[in-house]
Amino acid sequence: MDYIKLLNSLVSKAKDFGADAAEIYLETGRNLSIQVQDGEVETIEESYSAGVGFRVIVEGKMGFSHCNQLTDDALEDTFKRAVTFAKLTTADPNNVLPDNKEITQVEGLYDGELVKITMEKKIKMAIDLEKLAMKDPRITKSSGAGYGEGQGEVYIASTNGFLKVYKTSGCSIGVNVVAEKGEQKNTGGEFCSRRYFADLKPLAEIAEKASKKAWELLDPIMIPTQRAAVIFDPDVASSIFGGVIGALNGERVLQGASFLKDYLDKPFASPLLTIIDDGTRAKGMGSTPFDGEGFPTKRRVLVEQGVVKGFIYNSIVAKRAGTVSTGNASRRGFTSLPGIGTHNVIIQSGQHTPEDIIKSTSKGLLLKEVTGYGIDSVTGNFSGGATGFWIENGKIKHPVQGVTIAGNAFDILRDIDMMGNDLDLNKGLAAPTFRVKEMMIGGK
Amino acid sequence: MSTNQYIVRDIPRRKFLEMSLKGGLVLAASSPLLSQFLTSCSTGSTSVPGLGIDKAIIDKVIAAALSKGGDYADVYIENRASRQIVMEESKFKSGLYGISQGAGVRVISGNKTGYAYTEEITEANLLRAAEVASYVAKNGKITTPVNVSDTKRLSFITVKQPLGDIDDAKRIEIMKRADQAAMDYDKRIKMAMINYYDEVRGRVVANSEGVYLQDELPMMFFIVQTMSDDGKARHMSRERLSKHMGFEMFDEFTPEMVAKRAAREAIAMLDAQDAPAGIMDVVMQNGWGGVLVHEAVGHPLEADNIAKKIGAFTGKVGQKVASDVFTMVDDGTIPNARGTINFDDEGTQTKRNVLIENGILKGYMNDILSAKQLGNERTGNGRRESYQYIPIPRMTNTFIEKGSSDPGDILSSTQKGIYVQSLSGGSVNPVTGVFNFTCREAYLIENGKKTTPIKGATLIGSCLQVISNIDAVGNDLDFGPGICGKGQNAEVDAGMPTVRIRGINVGGSRV
Repeated sequence: MDYIKLLNSLVSKAKDFGADAAEIYLETGRNLSIQVQDGEVETIEESYSAGVGFRVIVEGKMGFSHCNQLTDDALEDTFKRAVTFAKLTTADPNNVLPDNKEITQVEGLYDGELVKITMEKKIKMAIDLEKLAMKDPRITKSSGAGYGEGQGEVYIASTNGFLKVYKTSGCSIGVNVVAEKGEQKNTGGEFCSRRYFADLKPLAEIAEKASKKAWELLDPIMIPTQRAAVIFDPDVASSIFGGVIGALNGERVLQGASFLKDYLDKPFASPLLTIIDDGTRAKGMGSTPFDGEGFPTKRRVLVEQGVVKGFIYNSIVAKRAGTVSTGNASRRGFTSLPGIGTHNVIIQSGQHTPEDIIKSTSKGLLLKEVTGYGIDSVTGNFSGGATGFWIENGKIKHPVQGVTIAGNAFDILRDIDMMGNDLDLNKGLAAPTFRVKEMMIGGK
Repeated sequence: MSTNQYIVRDIPRRKFLEMSLKGGLVLAASSPLLSQFLTSCSTGSTSVPGLGIDKAIIDKVIAAALSKGGDYADVYIENRASRQIVMEESKFKSGLYGISQGAGVRVISGNKTGYAYTEEITEANLLRAAEVASYVAKNGKITTPVNVSDTKRLSFITVKQPLGDIDDAKRIEIMKRADQAAMDYDKRIKMAMINYYDEVRGRVVANSEGVYLQDELPMMFFIVQTMSDDGKARHMSRERLSKHMGFEMFDEFTPEMVAKRAAREAIAMLDAQDAPAGIMDVVMQNGWGGVLVHEAVGHPLEADNIAKKIGAFTGKVGQKVASDVFTMVDDGTIPNARGTINFDDEGTQTKRNVLIENGILKGYMNDILSAKQLGNERTGNGRRESYQYIPIPRMTNTFIEKGSSDPGDILSSTQKGIYVQSLSGGSVNPVTGVFNFTCREAYLIENGKKTTPIKGATLIGSCLQVISNIDAVGNDLDFGPGICGKGQNAEVDAGMPTVRIRGINVGGSRV
């Protein structure tokens, strides 16, 4: 189907349908998912899909509709529904569509080779990965391995005179295993996602990490309730920074629903903390040439040495705040209105190796897993379940399971006193190992 | 790749929180799969447009699906119309209208499942999906399908005011009333966020056993969040209402009632103090707190992980796994409840399944595949989020059965601990049974009385330990609506009477 022709034709009808302005978001995709269990295929799922979302503004009121049938009748009917629905909402002078016609050049978003790799090879990879993860005698069971891939195209056409397109691909492989010892059971999982098939990590490396996560925490010893240093592994960084990113959402700031609402250009965290959002990183899983409403993506420093440098916005919220979009309109596909979100979040690395951080800790907890919602972006309150290792005099003493950690965002972020140098940019939220001087730990 | 953590939420959240392989793939292409909940909304047509496909075509598709071998095949056709209206800061921020349809073909061969779907429902596309799905059945045994014919199932959902007959102005009116009631409650309420959602899901389920079923499920989900701020503290509260029913839901449960409950919590929690840390006794108020056993016990009792012999309750049927006062039920037949679906998405009649009775494990919740793998009777728990997903064992309305204790006595006989009035949600590792929950509204218990409110603490523990440590069960069973995530979403109710759990680890920030 010629989508460009289709979109141009729909945009040209916007006025006739009663829309003062309209944006049409079209998305097509192919997904493949393979799951294996105990050396055999468990499920194979494949799908092709396409859908369109219509965002319209009628006398300052905004409406939205979507459908996954691309026939002329269905599309026109859905378009008109958005106009009808818009009339229900409240007029707001901030309801605008972006008019920036540029596109950011981002390399490495689409791997043309992906489709050429046979299904047999992908199945074999998942089976091999499972086998490798089961190699260690401490691993007793598999909870499955999988391979998944997707390719898609996004088109955004607007009555503001642009039609932009990009194409992306991605693939992912992972495994979950179980280690058992007597009555004890522990699980470990690891996966790797990349834009390009050739960039996936070696299977042995993924397998070893999954297997190690399962057995390394066996034979835990409970620790007493106390205050002590807490070291966050890169895998658990999102429990802290997820809520910080949420608090930088420009709309929540305007609504007073953010613990960082009064901190623009003010220090709130340790000078070791610098947070960057980069929508332009080559091959980044969160990179795109433009955001969810067609605004060009950027690389922005959100927090610099503990000071808030800027909030994140889409066009409507930016207008309300009296500024311009930061290219952070996020979209969960054609069925959703643009919200606000980040692309690739990077916590700038520091000077210390993770080993140095452990060595310089006289008493503390090295976190490997944190459960719960993380920092609350409204209040800054933090409480979670924790698993990891107890450290005494710079050495790992024993595994710890079933403890809690808690605190307030301002205290936790201010008390970051060591930042690691082990940054892996390929993670969705890329952070190095870091240490918080002291937190409350709940145990026996 | 199976999911590592099963989560349950009281409001829609972005799915990237899940540790599934699909969730790990952040792609434009996969984003429709990640977006189901917040978006769609509904008309409530009385017929099921797009579903009127000839039974002879379905027979042909099922035969094609089993042409290479396999034990079982099914066709699932779905049509969904949905409406969502969002009000924030007393303004109608957006209105969303969505329609989607699609059809999937599944083949089961031994332990293997093949699945493919199409959104343009034509004979040719269905045959192509059958071809892709049959990939797993190569060299499998040959099964001859039974031609499909209309099948009877009981219905537990009645509708007085079909969503399709409701003017949008009425929906708007409901939201305005909720906003007004929330803002009028107290001047420290600074904002209300109101989310109205309704949908009608039409489905056809047909399989190689000859089953052909068609129905329509209406669903409503109404969420009021309020934010309080007194200059010193802030709290975002939440109250939810959801049923499989028509617009008459608001006659029984008014928008004002929902809004006032939310506002009450927001104001009460302004005085919250830091929570203590460590192991203590917990009394949980009746209702949505049942999410604790949904996670801690329900997920580990889903038969898929039992069939893989990795679940925490593997091989424990007939054994004592909980205290004598503990009985737990999953019941897909509660009239109009959010977790009720008449027949599951594989066509099995939903039932009342007693999972644990007086502490003894009675059985698991299964889908067609895991029932066969374990040699158990089907329980009606094979559910799917949409045509984009295969059915897997899921809960419906899951609860702790009511006991005999007076809720007031449970509190007054607890010297010291935490009183949990509501939870936000939590997660469990189904293999180890280790769970966590976050409190939204909680208080200290001192000398048998509810005293100071405390800031949102996490509760952690292991499922086997927690159900052995429940020593008092009240006579006040109630329910709350939620969204359960297990690689895909399912609408569920969780319920319980007031209960006391001895010795849970509480994640506080002070000694």
